[in-house]
Amino acid sequence: MSQPVRPKSEKRPVRYAMLFDLRKCIGCHACVLACKSENDVPLGVWRSWIKRIEKGHYPAAREFVLPIVCNNCDNPVCVTVCPVGASIKRPDGIVYIDPHRCIGCRYCMAACPYGVRYIHPTRKIAEKCYWCHHRVDAGLDPACVEACPTGAILFGDLNDPDSPIAKAVARNPVQSIKADMGTRPYTFYIGLDRDVVEAKKVEGNE
Amino acid sequence: MNIQILQNIVPQEAFGLNIAIYFYLTGLSAGSFILSTLAYGFGIKMFKPLGKIGVVMATFLLVLAPAFLLLHLGFPIRFWHLFVYLNPASPITWGTFLLILYPINCIIYGYFMFRDKPKQTRIFAFIGIPLAILVHGYTGFIVAVGKARALWNTALMPVLFLVSAIVSGIALVIIVYLVVFGVFSKNKKPDFQLVEKLATILAWAIVLDLFLVGSDLIVLAVSHSEAQEVLQVLIRGKFFVPFVIIENLLGKVFPFFLLVIPKFRNIFTITLASILVMIGIFFMRYVVVVGGESVPLM
Repeated sequence: MSQPVRPKSEKRPVRYAMLFDLRKCIGCHACVLACKSENDVPLGVWRSWIKRIEKGHYPAAREFVLPIVCNNCDNPVCVTVCPVGASIKRPDGIVYIDPHRCIGCRYCMAACPYGVRYIHPTRKIAEKCYWCHHRVDAGLDPACVEACPTGAILFGDLNDPDSPIAKAVARNPVQSIKADMGTRPYTFYIGLDRDVVEAKKVEGNE
Repeated sequence: MNIQILQNIVPQEAFGLNIAIYFYLTGLSAGSFILSTLAYGFGIKMFKPLGKIGVVMATFLLVLAPAFLLLHLGFPIRFWHLFVYLNPASPITWGTFLLILYPINCIIYGYFMFRDKPKQTRIFAFIGIPLAILVHGYTGFIVAVGKARALWNTALMPVLFLVSAIVSGIALVIIVYLVVFGVFSKNKKPDFQLVEKLATILAWAIVLDLFLVGSDLIVLAVSHSEAQEVLQVLIRGKFFVPFVIIENLLGKVFPFFLLVIPKFRNIFTITLASILVMIGIFFMRYVVVVGGESVPLM
């Protein structure tokens, strides 16, 4: 994000990013379903999911939703720790797992601060959201973006100043999850509430 | 403020019991190897009976340990990828080489020791010391580089792992020595002076271990929110019994007093203390691996 100012005409490498406008998100799970069906994600595991919390007491109460996908970080710790180089960051920023190389050692799952990876119950290798790279490579939007009924999800090249996502990220206050981890996440949110990220049930405490 | 989670998913566990057992076995191996070099590397005559016990245990445990890694792998048939596709940034890749070099060195070192060739034994003792430190130290880096977890992501981890390896290694060698020389040997009696010496080293290694654990807890208590959460899980929550009671009170504090107070010191109490220490360090591995992961990420 902190790139020097350059003339608009200069060609820059593609850097994909995703933006969730939580002001528009109604928590309908259409993205989750589209993801499950597009990527053949088995029961019990998710490439994308929605975390939902309730704050306050009625009548001063509100529900907050947080759709979570892989952040496809610019400094992905999963790529750093993968012992066989199965986790790869593509030049366009998408972090993906080579299914033929992964040995299922789960180190990436241990290192990822976002918990977005799972071991496929029958393939026994690590999988996660790749922003539907197969669709992106074919010139389509990821399945979740296409499914969203309110247009709350934007996907595109952040380095292209004319792309809707670059404009939206430039014009709005955006946040990302756990940016303090130094992973440089590229999934952005408008209207992200801190409590939705931090709320957790710690078993055995209290 | 009233905050309730209405919906979320629980990610799969990344590391589990198999990894804890693996860390425990490499620790025991490295610890017993270091003890065996006291006589055969550094020439301290008193520890000579420990040399062969140490090297046999070190080799046996380190051949056994990777079996638990294979059990842990989702796709064990692809284990050879570890040798072909390397990632120098990943501690597991470092381990791939250490897990080959260290047992080979152990076998050569043991071969010369059993053949009574002190000069060659000494050479391989000194090659083996850094390998032993690395073969267990790298497991500390595995968890330390797992940056998602507050309990793991500390530079203290490799040192803590090494010290607990020495602690458990000494305890193991004491037990094996007493069994070999006390139970199975007809003419030899265990040398109580030697056992006492080991007991003293063990006691002060326990103090060092407790100091490191204490440092870790003090910093966790004032660090970021996830560090504070995992501390609560350890000292008050789900891991109170394994961490506070078993690992630290029964596995370190109680054996320390058994070992240092002269009135209590005899073969029986030293054996008891060693068994407790070995159980305690096993729970240390368990608490670090499983407890470290027990706090949800989001």
